Amino acid sequence: MEYLFLNLLLLPLVWMIFLGLSFFARLQLSERFLSESVKFLAMIMSLMSLLLSAMVVMNGFEPLVLDYADWIHVGEYDFKIRFIIDFLGVTYALLSSLLIGIIFRFSRNYLHKEEGYFRFIFLLSTLLFALQVISFGRALDIIFFGWELVGTTSVLLISYFYTNSQPVRHSFRAIVSYRFCDMGILAAAAWAHHYMHTTDFNEMSRLLHDPHLHTAGHGGQIALFFVGLFIVWASLAKSGQLPFSSWLPAAMEGPTPSSAIFYGALSIHLGPFLLLRFYDYFHHFPLLLWIIGLIGALSALYATAVGRTRSDAKTMLAYATISQVGIIWVEIALGFTHFAIFHMVAHASLRTWQFLRSSSLIQDFFENPVVHQHETIQRNLSVEKMVSKNLRKKIFLHALHGFHLDYFTQRSLDGLSWPMRAYISFEKKWMNLNNSIATSIFKKR
Amino acid sequence: MNAREIPLYTLNNKWENTIFTLLAFLGVCFSVYFFNTSSSSLVQLKGFFFELAFDKFSLFLSAVFCLSLFVGLYPVRKENEIDKSFIYYVLWGLGILLSNNLTTFFVFWTLQRSLPAILIFRSIRNSNTRGGGTYLIQHLTVFGCLLALIFLALNSGYATASFSEIPKSFFTWPVLILSFIIIYESHGIFPFHSWVHDLVGQFSWYKIAALFLARPGVLLFVKFLEPTIQHDPHIFTTMLLALSIFSSIYWSIRGIFETNVAQTTTYFSVAASSLLLTGLQADHTAALGTYLNLLVISLCGTSMWSMMSYIQRYTSIKRINQYYGLAQFYPNIATLFCLFGFCMIGTPLGASFVVEDLVINGLLDKQPYLGLGHILATCLNGILFFKVFTRLFLGTNAYPTKVNNFDLTRLQMLPYVAVLMVMFLIGIAPRLFLVNLQW
Repeated sequence: MEYLFLNLLLLPLVWMIFLGLSFFARLQLSERFLSESVKFLAMIMSLMSLLLSAMVVMNGFEPLVLDYADWIHVGEYDFKIRFIIDFLGVTYALLSSLLIGIIFRFSRNYLHKEEGYFRFIFLLSTLLFALQVISFGRALDIIFFGWELVGTTSVLLISYFYTNSQPVRHSFRAIVSYRFCDMGILAAAAWAHHYMHTTDFNEMSRLLHDPHLHTAGHGGQIALFFVGLFIVWASLAKSGQLPFSSWLPAAMEGPTPSSAIFYGALSIHLGPFLLLRFYDYFHHFPLLLWIIGLIGALSALYATAVGRTRSDAKTMLAYATISQVGIIWVEIALGFTHFAIFHMVAHASLRTWQFLRSSSLIQDFFENPVVHQHETIQRNLSVEKMVSKNLRKKIFLHALHGFHLDYFTQRSLDGLSWPMRAYISFEKKWMNLNNSIATSIFKKR
Repeated sequence: MNAREIPLYTLNNKWENTIFTLLAFLGVCFSVYFFNTSSSSLVQLKGFFFELAFDKFSLFLSAVFCLSLFVGLYPVRKENEIDKSFIYYVLWGLGILLSNNLTTFFVFWTLQRSLPAILIFRSIRNSNTRGGGTYLIQHLTVFGCLLALIFLALNSGYATASFSEIPKSFFTWPVLILSFIIIYESHGIFPFHSWVHDLVGQFSWYKIAALFLARPGVLLFVKFLEPTIQHDPHIFTTMLLALSIFSSIYWSIRGIFETNVAQTTTYFSVAASSLLLTGLQADHTAALGTYLNLLVISLCGTSMWSMMSYIQRYTSIKRINQYYGLAQFYPNIATLFCLFGFCMIGTPLGASFVVEDLVINGLLDKQPYLGLGHILATCLNGILFFKVFTRLFLGTNAYPTKVNNFDLTRLQMLPYVAVLMVMFLIGIAPRLFLVNLQW
C-alpha cells in the first residue's frame, strides 16, 4: 500500500521535473508525444488510485499513517513529511486522477495546435502532483505546500491567453484573493506549531480533548479558536465563498478544460476538503461551525441570485458552482460529513461535464427533446413565486450588479489605502525640502 | 523569435572584462573557502586600526555579493556600460562585508556611501538637478551617528576591538539607538528609507545593487548587536522587529501603488530584504531561514534587476500603468523573470518556500502576533511581484511601443538558469544547504 502511494505521489513529480528540464534544454516535445504521455500517466494514476481505494476499503476504512524523514530540521523546529491514507484522501486522489485524465483527453482535441499546449500540460501535471500532496498530507505545512502550487497553476492558467489584457487582469484578481486567503493557512500552521507544537490535524484534534492541554504549555482556547478560524479563512478563496466570490466568474477567461478542472471540479472543492480534514477540530468550537454554515448559506443565496441574472454559459456555471459549494459548506457545518464527500464528488463530476459541454451549448440546446416538442421550459421555481413581484424585481436589480460586492471591496480598499496616499504625499514634501536644502547649500553661486 | 548571438567574452572592453573576471574569481574563491571552512574557524587580517575577518559568515556574504553581481551583470554585459567607479563599489562593499571592528566598518561604509554622494554633489553643483538631497542628508546623519558610536567606543576602549570582544555592558541605550539608526538606514528600512527613492532612476541599477548587496545592516546586526541582543531591553528588540516587518509591508504597498518600472522593481527587492532583519531578530530557526533568504534575495533580486535593465534598454518602457505584453517579444526573459519571482515569493519547490517556513515558524515562536504581520508582508510581496510581471510581460499592448526583437540567447540565459537550478535544488532538498549555514 505504501509503495503504491509513493508511486502515486512521485510519478507526477518526476513527470513535472522531466517537462521542466526539457523546457530548459529546449527539447521540442511534439504535441503527439505529450498527449500520449499524459494519457498514459493519467491511466496509470487512475488505476493506482483505484487500487489504493480498494485497499482502504478492504482494510475496513482504517487510515494508514506514514511518517518519513524530516524535510527540514533546525534546532527544535522540524518540517515532518507526514501522510495519511484514508477514505477522504483516496476519494479526492481518485477523483483528481480520473478528472484530470478526462481533461487531458479532452484538451488533446480542444487545444490541438495551440501554441501553449506544452504550458497547459505542464501546469496540469503540476496540479496533479499538488492535489496528491493535499489529498494525502497529514500536516498543515504539507497541505500548504500543495495549496500554494494549486493557486499558482490556477493563476497561470487563467492568463493562458496572455496576449489579451482581460484574462491577465482577471488572473491578477485571482492571485490577490488567493494570497490573502493563503495567509490563513500559513498563519494556522504557524500558530498550531506555536500553540500546539504540531500541525498534524489528527494530533491537533486529539490535543483539544486533552484535559492537560493548557497546563502542558499549549495555547489558550482563544488562540486555538483562531487556528480554526484561520483554516476557515484559508478555505474561502479557493472555494469562492463570500466575500471572495467575485474572482471566480472572472476566472473563466482561461481555456475551457482548465476552467472545468479548476473551477468546476478540483480546486473549488479544496475549501470543503480542508474543512472536512479539520472537522474534528471544528467540532470542538461550535462557533466555527456556525461561521462555516453562515458563510456557506449566504454564498449559496448570493450566487444563486446573481447567477440567474447572467447570460453567458460559463459565468452561470461559475455562480452555480459557488452556490453548490456553499451548500457543501452548510452540510459540513451541520455535521453531514459523509454526505458532503458524496456531494463533492458528484458535483465535481457533473460540473466537469457541464463546463466541457459549455462550448457546445447551442447544439445541445437544440438537440434537447424538450425544445423539439416546443414545450416551454419551467423558469420560475415555486419558491420564487412565493416572493412578491416587486421584491423579486429589486433582488434581480441588485443581483444584476452582483450585490455591489466589487464596489464595496473597491471602496474598502480605497478606505484602507488613504493613509498610504497621505504618507506618500508627506514623503514627497519631505524629499522636496531635503532637495531644496541640499541645493541651497551645494549649488554653485 | 530570432535572437542575436553574443560571443562569450569579446563584446566588452578590457576594463569591463576585468571586472567580470574579478567578480567571478572572487565569487568562486569565497564560495570554495566557505564550503571548506568550519563554523569556528577565523582568519583575521589586522593592522593599525583595521581588522578584516574571513569567518564563515563574512565569507558567505562576500560570496553572495560577488556571485550576485556577476550573475546580474554578465548576461547583460553588452547593454550596460560599466562605469570605472564600479570597482570601488565592489571593493568597498567587500571591505564592509569583511570588516570585523567598528572602525573598519566605519571607514568602508563611508567610502562606499560617499561614491553616490559625490555624484549627487557634483550634479547639484553643476546643473539644475534637484534630486539626491534626501540621500545626502540622511547619509550625513548616519555618518554623524557612526562617528558618535566610534566616539563612545573610543571612550570605552572598543573602537578597534573585534566585534566579538565587545561586552554586553557597552550596549547602553545611546549605543543601541545609534546602531538602530545605522542598521535601518543602511538597509533602507522604514522610517529611514526615503533615500532609496532618490537613488533609483538617477544611478545605474548595478551600483544600487552593489550598495544593497554589501548588506551593512545585516553585518552590523549579526556581528555587533546580535551576540548580546538577549540582554537588550525587550521594548528595543520588539521595536526593531516591528519596524522591519512594517517596512516590508510599507515597501510592498508602495510598490503596488507605484507605476515607475525601476522603482517598483527596487521596492519589490527592498521589501523582500526588509524581511532579512525580521528573521535575524527572531530565533535560531528564523535566522537560518534569513541566511538562506539572503542568498535567494541577492541572487534572484539582482537577476531580476538586470533583466529589467535589459528590457528598458530595448524598449522605452518607463511606467507600468498599462499592459505591455512583452512576453510575446521576450519569451525567455518573461519565463526567467517569472521563475525568479516565484523563487522569491514563497512558491513551493522554490527556495523561498523553505525560507518562509523557517522564518515564520521561528518568528511566531518568539512573537506570535508580530508574526502575522510578517505573513501579511510576504502576501503583499507576492501580489507586488504579480503586478510587475503581469503589467510588463502579459496582456495586449494598448499603445504599441517600438519593441526590438532581442530576446536572451542561450548563452545569456546560462547564468540565470544556473541560479534557478540552485534555487529549485534548495527548494527540493534544503537540508543540503542548511547544514552549511551554521556559524
